[in-house]
Amino acid sequence: MSVRPARIFRVLAFESTHAALDAEALLDDLGFDVVPVPAPAGLTANCGIALRLEPDDAGRAITYLARAGIAVAAIADVEDV
Amino acid sequence: MSCSGPARLIYLDHGATSWPKPPGVAEAMARAVTGLGGNPGRGAYRLALDTSRAIHAARRGVAAFLGVPDAKDLLFQPGCTQAMNLVLFGLIRPGDRVVACSMEHNAVARPLNMLAERGVDVVVVDADEAGVVDPGDVETAVAAAPTRAVVCQHAGNVTGAIQPVADLADVAHAHGALLLVDGAQAGGHLEVGLASLRADAWACSGHKGLLGPQGIGILYLSPRCEPDELVAGGTGSGASEEPLQPRQRPDRYEAGTPNVPGILGLAAAVSWLSEHSAEQRTDERSLVRRLHEGLLELGGFRVLGPSPDTLRVPVVSVVHERLHADRLAFALDRRFGIAVRAGLHCAPWAHRTLGTLETGALRFGIGYGTAASDVDAALVALRQLSKERP
Repeated sequence: MSVRPARIFRVLAFESTHAALDAEALLDDLGFDVVPVPAPAGLTANCGIALRLEPDDAGRAITYLARAGIAVAAIADVEDV
Repeated sequence: MSCSGPARLIYLDHGATSWPKPPGVAEAMARAVTGLGGNPGRGAYRLALDTSRAIHAARRGVAAFLGVPDAKDLLFQPGCTQAMNLVLFGLIRPGDRVVACSMEHNAVARPLNMLAERGVDVVVVDADEAGVVDPGDVETAVAAAPTRAVVCQHAGNVTGAIQPVADLADVAHAHGALLLVDGAQAGGHLEVGLASLRADAWACSGHKGLLGPQGIGILYLSPRCEPDELVAGGTGSGASEEPLQPRQRPDRYEAGTPNVPGILGLAAAVSWLSEHSAEQRTDERSLVRRLHEGLLELGGFRVLGPSPDTLRVPVVSVVHERLHADRLAFALDRRFGIAVRAGLHCAPWAHRTLGTLETGALRFGIGYGTAASDVDAALVALRQLSKERP
């Protein structure tokens, strides 16, 4: 079996499912490749759902979210399984 | 056991609950059961995500219809009664003072009676004979002593009278009090516009004028209105290791797995209303006037509440000079297939105000699916019943 190289993603956590889905809808409308994922253990103030983004997109995404009044509770880089 | 009677049913009890439901409601509820099996907010697998997204879209849709600026301030509750209990028990403390309207339903009156037993000063302001409270009278009561909240219905479930809610908001806020509104009879029947109404809390049944299923209601809380939660538990969000309920909305007030079929059924009903509410309200107002004027022409009936030309929500209650309301209701059902409600309508305060606490009244409720022929059939039946027992 070949070894699959690990990929790093940036994960944004939110304080509620409602906020996470607000963020998903906004980023999806803006054309981001955004994927809901289980919130990684250890993120503070996480909701059950976090949003996974390409690391290079995360900065812009956070800016758009801030403009829309959607607070990001925590950010982490995670390695894909 | 079955009951004999006319096969055709004329449903005129929309003040109690709407029936039938508009297109899409049953289908949305069935989809919730058959296709959206995941628990919303609990898990990021696709089945749960689809359910979470459906609830999210439902919240946005209902919030937009009611004029709520931020959908997270629109909470799903098991019903209007539960929502008003949350607001009243979550905000009012022993030693507080509350000013209430004399037309309140038991969803408000009973919690206030309980609070009074716990040391809350509950001041009740009488409505006039049309069932409308005067903001000047409320201001007099509020100004008499520091007041935590003014509590008032948006529209009456006995008379259909519409209360001057925006004026009451001015009165309450001028004296540092909150305005808490029971909107059970208003949602759907009236253009609510919660942002401009300026209530601090506004609760509504999902199954009455909003045309959704039973078992679901909504509560709007303004950003400054922060009652303690009555129910704590899992929310699927926030930091689960935190020992207390998260503070953010809507999760704070929605512990436990939500009523997904109810929420999606309500959202489908509101979607229908978003397209048809203007036409629906025009029909309701025409029919309620037809009924009111017809009742006056019959003679022998006292129609409670506003005059026929006054804007109201579509309920009309009457008392006959000789015939008891309960017997009229029974005869209308069994002999004419007409469903109406007799009694006190869970509103003894209102009936005391109207002088009908001893007799009760016969209430007609008009709504989605009511036809002019239904109203006419009720009038014909009442004419026959009153002639039979001169």
